[in-house]
Amino acid sequence: MRALWARAWRGQPPQGWLLLVASLTALLMSAPVAYVAVRALAEDRERWDVLLDERIAVLLWNTLALAGVVGLISGILGVSLAWLVNRTDLPAGRALRWLIALPLAIPPYVGAMTYVIVFGPRGWMARWLGESPIDMYSFFGAAFVLSVFTYPYVYLVVGSAIGRLGQVHEDVASSLGLGRFAVLRRVTLPLLRPAVGAGVVLVVLYVLSDFGAVALLRYPTLTSAIYYQMGGFDTGAAALLSLVLIALTLVVLSAETGTRTRARFYETNGVTRAPRRIELRAWRVPALIYTVSVLSLAAVVPLAVLSYWTIQAVFFTGLDPGFLEFMVNTLQAAGLAAGVAMILAVPVVYLQSRHNSPPSRAIYQLAHAGYALPGVIVGLGLIFFSLRLAPAVYGTMVIVAIAYVIRFLPQAMQSTQASLAMVSPRIDEAARIAGLGPMATIVRVVSKLIMPGVLAGGALVFVSGAKELPATLLLRPAGFDTLAVRVWVEASEGAYDLAAPPAMLLVLLSLIPLKLMLDRFQGAS
Amino acid sequence: MKTAIQLTGILKSYPGSAQRAIDNMSLSVEAGEIVTLLGPSGCGKTTTLRVIAGFERPDGGQVRLGDRTVAADGVWVPAERRGVGMVFQEHALFPHLNVARNVGFNLKGAGLALRVAEMLDLVGLADMGSRMPHELSGGQQQRVALARALAHDPVVVLLDEPFSSLDADLRVQMRVEVRRILKEAGATAVLVSHDQRDALAISDTIVVMRDGRIEQVGSPRSVYQYPRSRFVAEFVGTSNVMNGTVSKDGTGVETPIGTLPLVGARGMGSGRDILVSIRPDSLELDDGGDLEGTVISSVYAGSSTDVMLRVESAEGPIELHAHAHPERVLEIGDVVRAHVLPDFVAVIEE
Repeated sequence: MRALWARAWRGQPPQGWLLLVASLTALLMSAPVAYVAVRALAEDRERWDVLLDERIAVLLWNTLALAGVVGLISGILGVSLAWLVNRTDLPAGRALRWLIALPLAIPPYVGAMTYVIVFGPRGWMARWLGESPIDMYSFFGAAFVLSVFTYPYVYLVVGSAIGRLGQVHEDVASSLGLGRFAVLRRVTLPLLRPAVGAGVVLVVLYVLSDFGAVALLRYPTLTSAIYYQMGGFDTGAAALLSLVLIALTLVVLSAETGTRTRARFYETNGVTRAPRRIELRAWRVPALIYTVSVLSLAAVVPLAVLSYWTIQAVFFTGLDPGFLEFMVNTLQAAGLAAGVAMILAVPVVYLQSRHNSPPSRAIYQLAHAGYALPGVIVGLGLIFFSLRLAPAVYGTMVIVAIAYVIRFLPQAMQSTQASLAMVSPRIDEAARIAGLGPMATIVRVVSKLIMPGVLAGGALVFVSGAKELPATLLLRPAGFDTLAVRVWVEASEGAYDLAAPPAMLLVLLSLIPLKLMLDRFQGAS
Repeated sequence: MKTAIQLTGILKSYPGSAQRAIDNMSLSVEAGEIVTLLGPSGCGKTTTLRVIAGFERPDGGQVRLGDRTVAADGVWVPAERRGVGMVFQEHALFPHLNVARNVGFNLKGAGLALRVAEMLDLVGLADMGSRMPHELSGGQQQRVALARALAHDPVVVLLDEPFSSLDADLRVQMRVEVRRILKEAGATAVLVSHDQRDALAISDTIVVMRDGRIEQVGSPRSVYQYPRSRFVAEFVGTSNVMNGTVSKDGTGVETPIGTLPLVGARGMGSGRDILVSIRPDSLELDDGGDLEGTVISSVYAGSSTDVMLRVESAEGPIELHAHAHPERVLEIGDVVRAHVLPDFVAVIEE
């Protein structure tokens, strides 16, 4: 028995308590979403038939079309901007390098709100021109908004890959007689394809999970349909739609795993020289106009609109009297989630790193279940789960925090993992040799060394929790309003002076994870 | 002499590998002895060290430290309760603690400061206690790692490839220094190395390992001078290995390059087929020598010239590796004469 157990762990079986904590964490992270699928499969065949006939085909088409178009547009925007900024003599390149990533700090539902303010049927354009030139409540509106607020994923991933690529392959191609554009087409772009794929997959996963933006733009997708089914207390239909969405997400995820496996072959070893920059010459001005236009649509316009309404509220109409309470609520729920996530991330990551074997990798993967799946499904799962097993937490702030942990624990795990990877396992062994037990080794030595990563992970979870909309809406106790909830409620009712200040605060908060992402993808520069 | 470490019939294999990492290994180390486990990578030397440390649990066999059994069937004492010290290849100093706190890590009681000072003095870093690890050179880091390992007064100090992260000059210096410190502390030490020069310089006893088994145990001199197998002869230094037959009177051995005197091998039956190992150092170029060879390569190495000679023999041409005095200029194609010095000729019973 002992031999078999040791064998499964590649000869390094973990301490009982470490395994217990990590397994329970993985279970908590995955059971609620798994339960959604179980509930869906238990539904009558008739319900399936009805939904299949009426709703699912339309919703599936809406969702796929949106994900496809947004993936395509943000792919084109992200790759072109990454190339311009990293490989050409585009003016103001240094400032543009991080400015282009700035839209990542604007939650898409906030961005959607600002575009409704400008181009909505009763927006600024409609007031000046009599009628808005663009219908924001359409496929176009949803595709446009999601594209301009998600392209930074592609931009960052591809930009980082360009940095690692170096010059050598292109030099070889040139020496073999390829012209500049042939090099780009036949060498550079193919080498970047895995990075482009990874970035686009992130965008598509986001589109599948987005609730706030599509709901504000009144474009029905699977995610928003699940939410509205829950609003109508039709949990059965919500579970069925969720199963379709889970399946869709898993398909996209498996595509991502595929690109990641391939990406490994493209990684270059050794020191890469900083690549030469291509002179744009006559194209310099058009390239700059293009870059500035994208930046205007994705950052300048939304931030200007937000600033305008925030100033209106602060200086003229007054802040919502409940503003402080919304802040405290957000701080409580997201803060609790961040604290719990920091504590739970360490055992799971430690187990995976120091006892690397099939069981620990399975635990690590299971802990990602709620991260990959949309917030509505996590919310739905927790409703089912808490009603059955823990009715006491249903309708409390605690369950909102649990939802944030399930949704965002992997952010804390990745950050912790990055720190732990810098600590040699020999350090752990040195502590053991000096007489510390496994638990004392983690508490007294390892946790001190990885603290920066753990704290950064906590900050990521905090900000993500503060921004999280659908799970909060589904799970919050009556009257428990967070900043994100207020943005959504007020924006839905057109009270922009009340929606703008909490939205502005969320954007400012989001600068923290943006900074962390920039450090990771663009280096410390 | 007291036995500090006793390994008996240790077995260890890793999942996914058909071959055993340690295959029925038994070894005993006397208190105060410096022992080096020497062998190529994958020979099981590091696994053996980690079994002694308590980081790997053997599949079978027994480990005794002092008069305590720490691993056997149904017995398992984890690393933190074995009272051993360890110096890691990359030193593994705690980066968040200064030198003094690294050395005093998990030491308790009133004598702590005194003990730390004593240890820092021993390793020659008396005034460095407040430095942080990243402010130290590689050699200083190693001294701190050694002080930390010795501070707990361990039953044995384990050193995993202690010199491999140091550059050449420092390496030579630290071999001497580490031996001095270990001897001064009166410690029992087990080192792991793949470098024969490290092993020859620092050890009281060398254990040559191959494929999870012990090939030969002995003093550095005996292992180098009288290798017992072709593997040891070729791994510990370079050697010319050839077939031979013990002569009728039993005092010499007939080889393709002539009859050589038998030294260090007693009671060999005459007429027996054996292998002979001749170190390059014992082939002396000498115009009056009885061997004639043609130079086929010559590499100037500073302290000597490494020459490869082709010698015609009864069994066809054979190639011999020899060391010539560095002042001797040899060109490819030169014909030279040499003779064999008997001291570094060893008989391998195979």
